[in-house]
Parts: sequence; structure tokens; C-alpha cells
Amino acid sequence: MLDASLASTRRAAAIRLAACGIAAAVGLWLWWPDVLWAIQSPMQSGDGVRTFFGLSPRRVIWVVAQLHLLFAAFVVGVPWFAVTVEILGWRNGDPKYDRLAHEFARLFAAAFATTAALGGLLTFTLIGLYPRFSDYFFGIFAPVMYIYGGIFLAETAVLYLYYSSWERLRHRKALHIGLGLVLVAVGTVIVFIGSSMSSYMMAPTGVDETGTFVGTTWQALNNPLWIPVVIHRLLGNITFGGFVVGAYGAVKFLTAKTDDARAHYDWMGYVGNFVGLMGLIPLPFAGYYLGREIYGVSPVMGNNMMGGDFSWAFIIQAMLVGLLFIIGNYYLWSGMRRIPGAERYQKYIKYYIVILVACVAVWLTPRNLPLSPGEQLAIGGQVHPLLGVLGLMSTKNAVINLIILPTFLSFILYRRANKIAPLPLSQPRLGTKISVVAAGGLCLAILGWYAQVLFRLEPASLDLAADKVVYFRFTGVLVVVAMLAAITSVILALRDRGHVAQGLYLAVVATESVGILGVYGYIVTTAANPFLRQLAAAQWLILMTALILVTAIDLAMYRGARSYGGIRWGDVTAKSQYALVSLCVIIIMTMGMMAYVRSGLRENWHIYGVLKDTSQWAYTPSIGVMVRMVGGITIVFLLAISFLFWIAGLGAKRPDEESVD
Amino acid sequence: MKNPWIRVALFVVALVALFVWAGEVVSRASGSTLRAAPGEGISLENGELIFWGPGKCHTCHAVGTRGRSVRGPNMGASADGDAMMIRAAQRARQRSAELGSDMTATEYLVESLVDPSVHLVTGFKDEMPIVYQPPVHLDPNELTSVVLYLQSLGGQPDSASIAIPREVRLSRRAALAVTPWQPYLEGDSAKGRALFFDPDGRARCAKCHRVGDEGGDIGPELTAVAGTRTTQSIVESLLQPSASIPAGYETELIETIDGRILDGLVLRETADSLWLVTALEEMLSLPLANIARRRTQDTSLMPDDLADYLSVRQLHDLIAYLRTLE
Repeated sequence: MLDASLASTRRAAAIRLAACGIAAAVGLWLWWPDVLWAIQSPMQSGDGVRTFFGLSPRRVIWVVAQLHLLFAAFVVGVPWFAVTVEILGWRNGDPKYDRLAHEFARLFAAAFATTAALGGLLTFTLIGLYPRFSDYFFGIFAPVMYIYGGIFLAETAVLYLYYSSWERLRHRKALHIGLGLVLVAVGTVIVFIGSSMSSYMMAPTGVDETGTFVGTTWQALNNPLWIPVVIHRLLGNITFGGFVVGAYGAVKFLTAKTDDARAHYDWMGYVGNFVGLMGLIPLPFAGYYLGREIYGVSPVMGNNMMGGDFSWAFIIQAMLVGLLFIIGNYYLWSGMRRIPGAERYQKYIKYYIVILVACVAVWLTPRNLPLSPGEQLAIGGQVHPLLGVLGLMSTKNAVINLIILPTFLSFILYRRANKIAPLPLSQPRLGTKISVVAAGGLCLAILGWYAQVLFRLEPASLDLAADKVVYFRFTGVLVVVAMLAAITSVILALRDRGHVAQGLYLAVVATESVGILGVYGYIVTTAANPFLRQLAAAQWLILMTALILVTAIDLAMYRGARSYGGIRWGDVTAKSQYALVSLCVIIIMTMGMMAYVRSGLRENWHIYGVLKDTSQWAYTPSIGVMVRMVGGITIVFLLAISFLFWIAGLGAKRPDEESVD
Repeated sequence: MKNPWIRVALFVVALVALFVWAGEVVSRASGSTLRAAPGEGISLENGELIFWGPGKCHTCHAVGTRGRSVRGPNMGASADGDAMMIRAAQRARQRSAELGSDMTATEYLVESLVDPSVHLVTGFKDEMPIVYQPPVHLDPNELTSVVLYLQSLGGQPDSASIAIPREVRLSRRAALAVTPWQPYLEGDSAKGRALFFDPDGRARCAKCHRVGDEGGDIGPELTAVAGTRTTQSIVESLLQPSASIPAGYETELIETIDGRILDGLVLRETADSLWLVTALEEMLSLPLANIARRRTQDTSLMPDDLADYLSVRQLHDLIAYLRTLE
């Protein structure tokens, strides 16, 4: 027995060693140009920059900063849903939720120290390699750094208190959840502070015309890109955390020895994917908002982003994000085999696939790409006469709404897959009635607020002529129509016409958000371009209300409904688990690539327009360099986090050793 | 290959390799590789490299069939019109009529680069950045090279015809610590000295500052200020005295027990009293027992509106004098 255990341990160690060797070889292959370059030209610079043993300081910072950001995203993102899962378990009394939340807590507790160490390493590396920049930057943010350090200490204390008090506070769950909420709040403050410092580098404020900082620290923090970056980053962190946990569950599923363990990790993977997609759905709009604000800060930067050096990077980004949606949906569809009764809905999937693929194809259609004369001749002009229109922002806004709708419907079909028939709402079920009315009220509040914004909007505030107000009014009327549809849907739902109510509201939303406003966007683009931002917000808000109201009606209809049987957790294909792994890898690469774009947009400025990088490393790396760097960092991160998870798991009981429900 | 760990590892490596391959393909297809950097000095070739590189002109302007940006006018001959230099000659005539003075095609080109909002081409927005300011930040030589390149589009390049406006040269600001600050004018140190010590003058510096044996002791001694401070730092102290206050010269805000609020520099303090000089140069003696609260401030006692009282010439005279104090 002992010999068998020893052999198993040795075999596992040999496999891990081999995996490390393969990964190291790949990493070397990805980075070999830099290594060769470093060997050939160890040099020093007199531009306020030092090299790192001959290696490009820029690449060293790139690697350290990106690894720090990835670990930080995990440490900040995972507590959000660890606490959510714990709350769900507390409310429904199912111990598997609590066990899952505890396992998440173990993972981010293991990753926290590495995150902090990488943060320290990043600071030291900046001071060492970029002393002139550090002097300027930390001179401005010195007061913030003390607060930042203090909050990190608070985060450390709360995190370990939250994790280690799990058993002790098992019977005082409210208190423990309170600790978790404090942890989430502190993590969010850290994101706010960290994001303000990085966004300041793109949009410095409080600087006079000689480049001297004359403002207050608050002015520096409250720069124009701060909140857009925070929103984008928080949603990105949630998505990232969800997909990393999903991949963890998938790998554990694939290596599980018992059915109980497979059931547990299958469920974990499902929850991870669910959270990841929930974060992903609003992410394109957060990105759109950030992009518009970047244009506002500097048209030069904005034009360079979408129509200059970085336009191809956005084509790759569209591919990656499109893949996230398609693979996330694929995972849901393939998971339906574990649900008795789901066969009824299989026939719809082929339509979803067609819609998703077509929308992704439209989404990655470029508009502002630098083309050679030969390329222009080949496509018949500066833009393709037919397909060129697909590259416009209004089209992209429409198709991203159309991508979100089938993704949402996949969830709806998934959750009602094993239900036989809905329960009537007209019967005395006060709680469900209230929830539907409350959801309707929330939708009305959101839409009503935005309708009054549109009706009160002054054209002059957007540098538009007074007669352009007609565009605002038309969009406002559509929002009011959506409000009327919401009221009608709530009434129908309360009169036992839940499916009709859902269909009606989805139809109205799809028609308005994708159809009418999608096409109207073309007119607005040419006639009142600055209004396109408000138009996109209207599209998105209308869509979000559909997600809220349709979900509320669905929950009300199917709560307590008879079912064909419980979900057979663990009864999924290996392919679906590889889908989870690929979601994790793709989100890491997407984040790495977007960090390259955000940093690269500053071009040869440490701090845009204020502090110039006059060193020889101040060029914009090509897409080829970017993919090698991001690919290498992805592998290093995955190796590091796998190692941490392995360490974290050494002292933990496996699910098959516990009593699994 | 039954081991799931190896399968997952290979799957991950394959995904990353696919991403790298796709990026390499895009890199080759887009020509997104390291571009040649412009060299030193003025030349048409440099102008072309700047136009298609660090000048970022190509993100808004195409040249004939090269590039496809449509945010700004096409600089070459295209379906929309003649090449740039021919159009520049036409617009220069139009601008001459508006201004009532002659403007050449090259002057029009220069004006459209350094002050693009002055004359907008119909159908285009007022969104072009001022190219000699950050973030584009071209220096006069780079600007001249770009104009040479534009001259070559439908005309003959002629560097002798290009006059970069003086304000561009003066406004040229390198990033921090790259180019030391220099005064805009050559000041007269003798006049500056007179201004410094004139008790009824506009500056009256000597009321507070000592140079050698002359002057007051309220502010820091300036006998060797040029030996210890850079010119930029001296100018900052003149125009923004609170930006950097020497240790011991921070003012205090004092509230007395009878509710008076006093603001000034504590010159001396004993166990039971302190002596305060206010911004109005009043000297006050206060028993410590009469003080309810006191707080050190981050403002200087020196007035921060010197620029309102001195002309640019007088300011430079004063700077010139202070630079002699080594």
C-alpha cells in the first residue's frame, strides 16, 4: 500500500516536472529574440533608464506588471463570488455551496502573498529601472502610497481572518459573511486606487504647461479615465476570476478518481463559467465607454487606438472576446446532457450558433485599418463597398447586443431544462408576485431615468446644433416604448402568461436595441455623431432590463415547479472541460493584450504629454512582439498559479474524502 | 497519452501557440513591425518618416492611395482634389484675402500645422492637435522636415522658404529634466538689483530677504542662492512661492482664546511667548497661554502675485540679478 502510494507520488512529480520542462522550453522559444538581443548588446542608457543585466527594462516591467495584474485580478475577482456563493449556501442550506466558497477562499488566500510580493517587485523594479519616472510619479502619489500600503495590510488581515475563521464561525454565518463583504469592499478600494495611478499615466491632470505637477493628489487620482478604467477592470476581474476557477474545476474534474469528486468539480466549473459570463456580458460596453473617454482625453490617442498602430490589436481582441462568448455558450449547451428533459431545447442551439458566429464575424470586421494601395484596389476602395458598413461602431453595438441575447437565452433554457411546466403566478404566491413587480419597477426606474436624460439633453452640451434634438427625442420615445412593454409584460406574467410576457419583452428589446437603434446608429453617425455615445447607452440599458425582467419572470414561474429529475452533476464530456480550460487561457491572453494596448497608447511617453521616454526602448512593439510576450506571460502565470493551487491543496481534504451530498 | 495533466498542459500550450501564430500572421499582414526611426536634422526623408511614424499624421490623413484615413483631408492627389501643394496655393490666396496680407503656399502649410483651428477645410472637424505641443510634440527641425515632405506633394521642396514661427521655438518644451529651463529674455542684473532693494518698488524683496549685509531676516537669505538653486527653481520660488517652502519658513495658522485668527511666520518662540510676522509685515507678540489652537500650513508668507505687479522685463531683470548671487 505504501509502495503504491510512493510510486504514485513519484509518477505525479515526474509528470509535473515534464510539464514544467515543456513550458520552460516554450517560454524560451517565445522570448528567444529578447534573450539573444540581451546577450549581444548589454547597454546602459542616459535617459533616466537602466537595463536589467542587459535585458530591455521595458520588457522586464512588462512581465512583472502583467503578472502582478493577473494575480491581483484573481485575488480581487474571486472574493466577489466566493462571498456570493457563501450567501447562497447560507440562504438555501445546501452545504455544497459552503464547501465551494471555502475552496475558493483557500485558492485566493494562497495567491494573495504572491500578489503582494509581485506588487513590491513591480515598485522596486520601477525605481531601479526607471528612476526619473519613479521620482516624478511617486512624488505625486506619495501620500496615496501610504494609504495604499495601509489598505493592503487591512486586506491581508481581513482575508486571512475570513479564511481561517470559517470553521469557528460556522454557526455565526452572518458574521462570517459580513467579514467577506468587508474583504470585497477593501479589494474594490484597492482596484480604485491602483487604477487611478495607471489611468493618470494616460490622462494626467493638475499639470501646468511646463509639465510640472501643480495640482493636488486628489486631482491626480480623479483623472478623466479613472472611473472608466475602474469599471472595466472590476468587470474584467470578475470575468477572469470566474474563468480561472472554472478551469481549476475542469482540471480537477479531469483528474478526479471518484464520481463524487467529479460531481463536485463539474458543479464548480459550471459556477465558474456562470460567473465569468455574467462579468463578460457588460464588459464590451464598459470597453466602449472607456474607449470613448480615451477619445475625449486625446483624439490623437483615440485615433491611434482604433485607426492607427493598435487597430489590428482590436481585431485580435474581437476574435478572442468572440471566442469567449462562443465557447462559454458551447459549455452551457454541452452541459445540458446532464439535465433530464433538456432534449426539448436542443433544436434551438443550431440557431444560436449561427447567430453567434455571424455576430462575431461582423464584430471583428475592421473599419479603420491602414491599407496599402494594393489592398485598397483589391477591396474596391478605402472600405469595402458592401462590408464596409459592418465596421461602423453602430453595427458593432447592435451585434454585441445580439451576441448577449442568445447567451442569456442559453442560460434561461439551461435553468428551465428539467422543469415540466411553470407554476401559475395567479395562485396565492405573494413572494414571487412581489419579485416580478419589483423587477418590473427596477426596469421602469432605469428606463425612466434614462428617458428623462434623453428628453432633457441639450444639443449644445454635445456641440450639436439645436435642430439635432430630434435624434434625442426619437431615442427617448423608444425608451418609453420599452417602459410600456415592461409594464405589459409584468401584467401578463401576473395573469399566468409568463411565456408570452417574456417573449413580448424580448421581442420589443431585440427590435429596439438591435434592429431600430442599430440602423438608426448609421444616421446618427453621420448627422449627430457625438450623440452616438448616448444612443449606445440606450441600447445597452434597454437590453439590461430584458435580462432583469425575463430572469425575474422565469424564476417566479419555475420556482417549485415539478421536474423530470435532478441535475446529474458529473455527467459531462471531457470536451466541455477543455472548453473551460480554453476560456481561462483566452481571458488571460485577452487581458494581457489589452494591457499592452493601454500601456502602448502612451507611445513614447511615460506620462502622456508630460514626461517623455527618451530612451531607445520608447518604440511601440509590433503585434508579433506582443503575442510572444503575452503568450509567454500566460504560460508563466498558469504555471505559477497551478503551483500555488497545488500547494494550497496539499493540506486540504479532497471532495471524495468528505461526505459529498 | 492517458494522463490528463499532460493532455491539459499540451492543450494550453497549443492554444497559446495558436494565439502567437495568429498574431505573427497579423503582424506580417499589417506590416506591423518596427519602423525605421527618423534621423537627425532636416530632410524630406525624415519628414516622410515622421508623417508615417511618430508624427501620427497618417492616423488622420492619407496621401493619394497610400493610407486610408479619412478624418483629415487627403494630402495627395485623389478623387477629392489635387495634391497638397496645389491646394495649399489656392487656400493661401483665400487666406491672403481674409488677412489682407500676402500668404504663400508654404506659409499656409506651416500655419495649418502650428495653428490648425484657424482655417478648417469644409467637411472636416476641428480635431487636429497642435503638432509642436504634446503629445505629438514635434521640434522645429521635425516640423520643417514634415513641411518639406508636404511641399513635395505636388510641388518642389524648398527648405529656405520654410519659416517656423517664433512662438513654436519658444514654446518648444522638452520633457522634464531633459532640457534645462532657460529665461525667455536676457535680463539686466543691475536693474534687477535696484528692484530688489528698492523699499518703495514693486518687488521690495529686501524687506524680507538678506543679500550679504543688506535686507531683512523674515525670509531665507539669498546671498548665494544661485550657487545652491537652479534657475528654474528660483523662478518657481518667485511665481509659486508655496510650491516648495524651505524648512523653517512654513507659516502657521493660530487661533487665540478670544477667537482671533492669525496667519504668519513664527520668528521666535520661548517657553511662554512667540513672535509672529504677518503677511502685512506686522510683528506681533503672543503669550502662549492666549493660544487656543495652532497649525502649520503649506503656504509661504511671500506673496504669490508677484507676476501681477512686475512686467515680464522686470521679472527677467530680477531673475538676472538673482543668478549673479553665487
